[in-house]
Amino acid sequence: MSIMQYNGGSVIAMVGKDCVAIASDLRLGVQSLSISANYQKIFPITDRIYVGLPGLGTDVTTLHEQFRYRVNMYTIKEEREIEPQTFAQLVSSTLYERRFGPYFIEPVVAGMQKLPTGGFAPFIAATDLIGCLNFAKDFVVAGTASEKLFGVAEGLWEPDLEAEDLFETISQTLLNAVDRDAFSGWGAVVHVITKDKVVTRTLKGRMD
Amino acid sequence: MDVSFAITGKGYVILAADTTAAHSIIKVKLDEDKIKELSPHLLMAYSGEPGDTVQFAEYVERNIRLYQIRNLYPLRPSSAASWIRRSLADSLRSRKPYSVNLLLGGYDTTTHTPHLYWMDYLGTLVDVPFAAHGYGSYFALSLLDRYHDPEAPLEEGLAVLKRCIDEVTKRLVVAQPKYKVKVVDKDGVREVEL
Amino acid sequence: MASPSVYNGSGFDFSNVTRNSFLEGRGLPLPKATSTGTTIVGCVYRDGIVLGADTRATEGPIVADKNCEKIHYIADNIRCCGAGTAADTEFTTALIASNMEMHALSTGRKPRVVTAMTMLKQMLFRYQGHIGAALVLGGVDATGPQLFTIHPHGSTDKLPYVTMGSGSLAAMAVFESGWKPDMSREEALALVAAAISAGIFNDLGSGSNVDACVITATQTDFLRGFVKPNERVEKERRYVFKRGTTAWKKEEIKNLVVSETVVGHGEQMDVS
Repeated sequence: MSIMQYNGGSVIAMVGKDCVAIASDLRLGVQSLSISANYQKIFPITDRIYVGLPGLGTDVTTLHEQFRYRVNMYTIKEEREIEPQTFAQLVSSTLYERRFGPYFIEPVVAGMQKLPTGGFAPFIAATDLIGCLNFAKDFVVAGTASEKLFGVAEGLWEPDLEAEDLFETISQTLLNAVDRDAFSGWGAVVHVITKDKVVTRTLKGRMD
Repeated sequence: MDVSFAITGKGYVILAADTTAAHSIIKVKLDEDKIKELSPHLLMAYSGEPGDTVQFAEYVERNIRLYQIRNLYPLRPSSAASWIRRSLADSLRSRKPYSVNLLLGGYDTTTHTPHLYWMDYLGTLVDVPFAAHGYGSYFALSLLDRYHDPEAPLEEGLAVLKRCIDEVTKRLVVAQPKYKVKVVDKDGVREVEL
Repeated sequence: MASPSVYNGSGFDFSNVTRNSFLEGRGLPLPKATSTGTTIVGCVYRDGIVLGADTRATEGPIVADKNCEKIHYIADNIRCCGAGTAADTEFTTALIASNMEMHALSTGRKPRVVTAMTMLKQMLFRYQGHIGAALVLGGVDATGPQLFTIHPHGSTDKLPYVTMGSGSLAAMAVFESGWKPDMSREEALALVAAAISAGIFNDLGSGSNVDACVITATQTDFLRGFVKPNERVEKERRYVFKRGTTAWKKEEIKNLVVSETVVGHGEQMDVS
């Protein structure tokens, strides 16, 4: 058992038509003993950026605190909200700074990016535990169920899904993948971000 | 071999911890209090490496007290949990980390809600309705999954806690004979007899 | 511990190292850093340099990214292909690109490839191979076309055609049989594409598309997706779920657009 599997948990993010979705399971365990069925691993950064932090529980809190601090300082210094692309770079450099003593987290970023035209474009990104960015145009996955998530998402995802259809696709992808992972599950939460609202739904999942 | 439990209910948190102080295979004390009263509305049950536990608990106790003296009001449970977690996370990055697991129960006097936090020596912090540490958790968590009610009055909460203790006493090979039980609610902290 | 500045000092932060080795001592093995199997190549031709790379990024046996970019920018006339630990190649080339820009600004000259090569090898040697970047560096400067390979420990080679990464053997086989001096741009690009294709199809760590970059004395052409031999076919069926398939317990909607109605209050100002 590796440190990455110690507390369990998985996150996935997907791109849709003028929307993005990010979802995670809600389990936190200590190896095979489940401690909580309501452990949030996805955190809002700004109104339109969410970050998922699957991995070691202590680093979830430490990194969330650090990101909150750095984003607040950015907002104060720049006098504007951080953009998803910039935030992804911030995540990446925060992790690479600890190249030789990493945090055991594989972050996933999802958000709506402001365009020069005034509109919004979907944005997702993921990094490995030392901050190598992966900008995907379809979906990104991380956590103990990442292999299963890759497989299911590859089959179910298609381009230009409307927000409601994207919700169904990401939910079914996550639920079916974590059902095949012993360390993820125990409920799930989905955030669907569009240009003018964020819909957060807590899913009914298997509790085993 | 420490065992500790905690449950929340309607406006209260109950914490219970065994009272055995062991040295290797010898029980050296049978009335050890492993639940610190950190502030008027905050309790902390600690377990783990002997020595580290008391040392760390006293360090926390005095810092929480210092905050209260400086600011004339105590830390709320969520803030206290955050500070204690940070202390453990920083300790883990030192040469000799504290090996301490905690249950933090408190009553937030501003929102009038009870809070319970599960914390381990890695600095993992989780907000939970009920929790346990040690071998007792393997018995208690399944019982509490079935019987815990977040809206139960104190009597029912204590009854559920007693079921957990009885089960552990009956089935655990290295069971502890005696438990100290403390409650925190709007009136503050107090010890109760089961 | 939170530092007082948003921008930390340069260099690596080792604050987690003691903790991580403590956890390792508790019987929790540390995960291996994600290493990328890769095929990257470069060759000299009549007018300059052609660089090539595949576009697969792997995490162990999993394909993490099917179309990543492995040809990194160093300067307008210099590019660098990276193999090895993905994050290391990314950050090392970004750092050197930044330093090269500073150097060009302070000297007022067009940067040279040897300068980038020296910076890279000195940095990699200082880290004694712990930064796992294996690079192919190419460009055209005042001294003509230049092509180097740089190994993770800091050793370098200067050759007319080079390959690196897990697919380097397959790619080198193609170069050994097909390379000749003074090739045309078309010949060189075809050879590079063949070499990368050899890696894509014969090395499991390499895959997807061929990226290429042609650098001459006057311009640099980055040919992203130069050859795409592994395009995904159109899905034959749609797998969209009927809305309402997923059962959910709780819904919260956060509206980001706050609408407000302005209600007239008091008497209208007389503007006549």
